[in-house]
Amino acid sequence: MDLIRKLVSADEEYLRDESKKVGFAETISFPENHEQVREIMAQLYKDGTSVTVQGSRTGLASAAVPFGGHILNTSRMDKVLGMREKDGHFYITVQPGVILQKLNKAIAARAFDTSAWDEASQAAFEAFGKAPVQMFTPDPTESTAAIGGMVACNASGAKSYHYGATRGHIQALRGVLANGESICIKRGEIFAKGLDLALTTEEGNTINVKLPTYKMPNCKNASGYYCAPDMDAIDLMIGSDGTLAVLTEIEISLLPVPALSWGVSTFFEAESQAAKYTKLAKQIANGIVAIEYFDACALDILRKQKAENTAFAGLPFLPESYGCAVYTELHCDNEDQAYELLESLSKYCTQAGGNPEMTWVATSDSDRDMLHFFRHAVPESVNMQVERTKRTYPEVTKVGGDLAVPDEYFEELLKIYDTTLEEEGLLHAAWGHIGDNHIHVNILPRDMDEYSRGKALLAKWAGEVSRMGGAVSAEHGVGKLKAPFLEVMYGKEHISEMAALKAVFDPKCMLGRGNLFAPQEEVKA
Amino acid sequence: MKIIVCMKQVPAAATASIDPLTKTIVRTGRNAVTNPFDLYALQTALDIKEGVGGTLTAITMGIPAAQKVLRDAISRGADDGAILSDRAFAGADTLATSYAISLGIEKLGGADLVVCGKMAVDGDTAQIGPELAQHLGISHVSDVTEILEMAEDHLVVRRVWDDIDQELYLPLPALITVAKGVNLPKLPTIPGMLRGRVAEIPTFTAEDLGADIARCGLKGSPTQVVRTFTPPVRGEAQEIEGNETQQAAKLAQIIREVLHGED
Ligand SMILES: Cc1cc2nc3c(=O)[nH]c(=O)nc-3n(C[C@H](O)[C@H](O)[C@H](O)COP(=O)(O)OP(=O)(O)OC[C@H]3O[C@@H](n4cnc5c(N)ncnc54)[C@H](O)[C@@H]3O)c2cc1C
Repeated sequence: MDLIRKLVSADEEYLRDESKKVGFAETISFPENHEQVREIMAQLYKDGTSVTVQGSRTGLASAAVPFGGHILNTSRMDKVLGMREKDGHFYITVQPGVILQKLNKAIAARAFDTSAWDEASQAAFEAFGKAPVQMFTPDPTESTAAIGGMVACNASGAKSYHYGATRGHIQALRGVLANGESICIKRGEIFAKGLDLALTTEEGNTINVKLPTYKMPNCKNASGYYCAPDMDAIDLMIGSDGTLAVLTEIEISLLPVPALSWGVSTFFEAESQAAKYTKLAKQIANGIVAIEYFDACALDILRKQKAENTAFAGLPFLPESYGCAVYTELHCDNEDQAYELLESLSKYCTQAGGNPEMTWVATSDSDRDMLHFFRHAVPESVNMQVERTKRTYPEVTKVGGDLAVPDEYFEELLKIYDTTLEEEGLLHAAWGHIGDNHIHVNILPRDMDEYSRGKALLAKWAGEVSRMGGAVSAEHGVGKLKAPFLEVMYGKEHISEMAALKAVFDPKCMLGRGNLFAPQEEVKA
Repeated sequence: MKIIVCMKQVPAAATASIDPLTKTIVRTGRNAVTNPFDLYALQTALDIKEGVGGTLTAITMGIPAAQKVLRDAISRGADDGAILSDRAFAGADTLATSYAISLGIEKLGGADLVVCGKMAVDGDTAQIGPELAQHLGISHVSDVTEILEMAEDHLVVRRVWDDIDQELYLPLPALITVAKGVNLPKLPTIPGMLRGRVAEIPTFTAEDLGADIARCGLKGSPTQVVRTFTPPVRGEAQEIEGNETQQAAKLAQIIREVLHGED
């Protein structure tokens, strides 16, 4: 059977992702395993056809939007292949199309289809059944993301404040290169010597890579290739935005679920109080796994939703004095530790000028669900608002920033956001990972003029963040939309180094065309 | 106003998972929670306390660990709590439970208003509230869906059942059981959590309550569970008219019809 077929009108959805941009392509495939991916790539390599790899297409940077040629969609690579146990730690090998939400459910319920697993995996599964309940910690808000997409973007979420982004939870990767050769990298086995990295394909050919010379930002980062002297080879593939290889098998690592998981929302009248509280809360060394922020506009949008939309009537009541919110999540071994943390947070709230009575503490499932609903209602409501504008101005999309900076620049960045948004008079809402100096400021344009001004403002912020040594994309990946910002962040010379690196893996520039590099850069390399 | 709210600890269904090997339910140790309906009862009591002033005490009957629900209640705004705990109470059906709780409430000096959840999700009987009112000798309204008016000496409540929509004037003292949706229970605050943790919770035994042991626990429980099943939903309701005697006669006839298929 031919794995590659012509794109037909029913395939139209595969031309888009959640960035709402539309691309173009001639052919599409839905491989089911590594071997089929090899076959497809070997065939496409003959003509140097462009290939866009797709996970769940929930990306926000148009990375999975095709740029001509072929769409390799991994949605049918959705099997859990096996399990491994070492020193009480559990590792699961999945295909890239496995959906995060389903995987999390299976892990929590310890329910996997093990019928095709080998004996070693079956034995590990038996131990898994007796071990404390486990979890996979990367938690992008969009839980329908595929594991392949998460690895390609180095996705992260609220709890990455403590547990780190996807990168730290990836133990091994197998993939197919543009020419159809296979590559397998296990963490801790292959390291660069300085900036020289040599990899051997399963076919026995060696790839010699010269790593770029830039220094990565000292903050949360998903912008461009991960590069550092003596680095582990696996880290180069993680966050490579579908430009180096098609990932086909991914081994993830699990952690035991904490004994207690509590959520604490603290409300403040002023943003400056929230920032001060966050700074103090960050001093707590253990137990705080997430620190998230919701600004006044985000809370106002929720108030409006609650009043007008019955689907949101179950949102907790927000008194007017609740100006903005900081949500912290506590993972603790026992109640003593959890109560100690509550006492510290209460003290810091007062020190920051807040009132500890203006807090919500969730310790039960139903209360946690309530806080979860509250936090997720923010992006959902914002998207609904943008959709309404879209009815009149179809080209308008949300203009969302994904910028992060090192600690010392965060207050300055907040000021820049405030003053420039006020100058431009743009409707906006901001929320996100304040603990990582990473807030998503979303501009909600009401017409085309605001849309262009919003985009110009985002470009301006990208410049400022680059000056501060920050990241132009902290978690969504660069994709196509933020490729121009990457050049601002690293400069032309370093972009050329990146292009040269890509050319070693993919000499015909087939994979993920338009991602990371504006296309002409790729051709030049 | 003196308000007492009845709370129960129940197993949390959502946290149970199946052991892949033994196929039995894995109890994680985090599986006891406050009966969800009781949170609506507590919020109703908190709202009434805020509206007319007074005190709010939470009461529960259960094993000593069940005092966790009282700490939960205090963290959400209750003033204090009391637990009825004694081996003599073990194995109680709704009659024996409501008897013990009625003594507990009397021990606390009685109440102007008792608020219960509509039912406990582990037993689904919805009997405790009405039986408790009976033991206390006060009137009650079950399944309240809205508090329309509150005052020191009365409440006006609403209940919507199938196609019946009632507005009821309820002189106090009285008992109400509340339905889900009567309000939106609020979350605890940090100071509330800290208060709940250190609160002194008195324990009352059967002896403390001066209970008749023959009416407590398994001994005092006439209920025999023969079979449990979900009755088919028929979705029909009839209103019975007439004076009390006529209504009672009509009701008895309907029961006979259902039991024996008599005309
Ligand atoms: C409402 C909403 C909230 C979001 N919140 C977050 C958040 O909190 N944190 C966050 O990090 N992201 C977030 N995202 C963005 C998005 O969910 C993540 O970027 C996610 O990792 C993308 O996964 P995906 O499977 O949808 O990938 P896709 O969008 O399909 O692809 C993304 C990139 O991965 C590449 N790719 C996919 N599979 C493979 C493979 N097997 N091999 C090689 N390359 C591959 C694609 O080529 C593309 O470059 C959010 C998105 C939405 C819509």
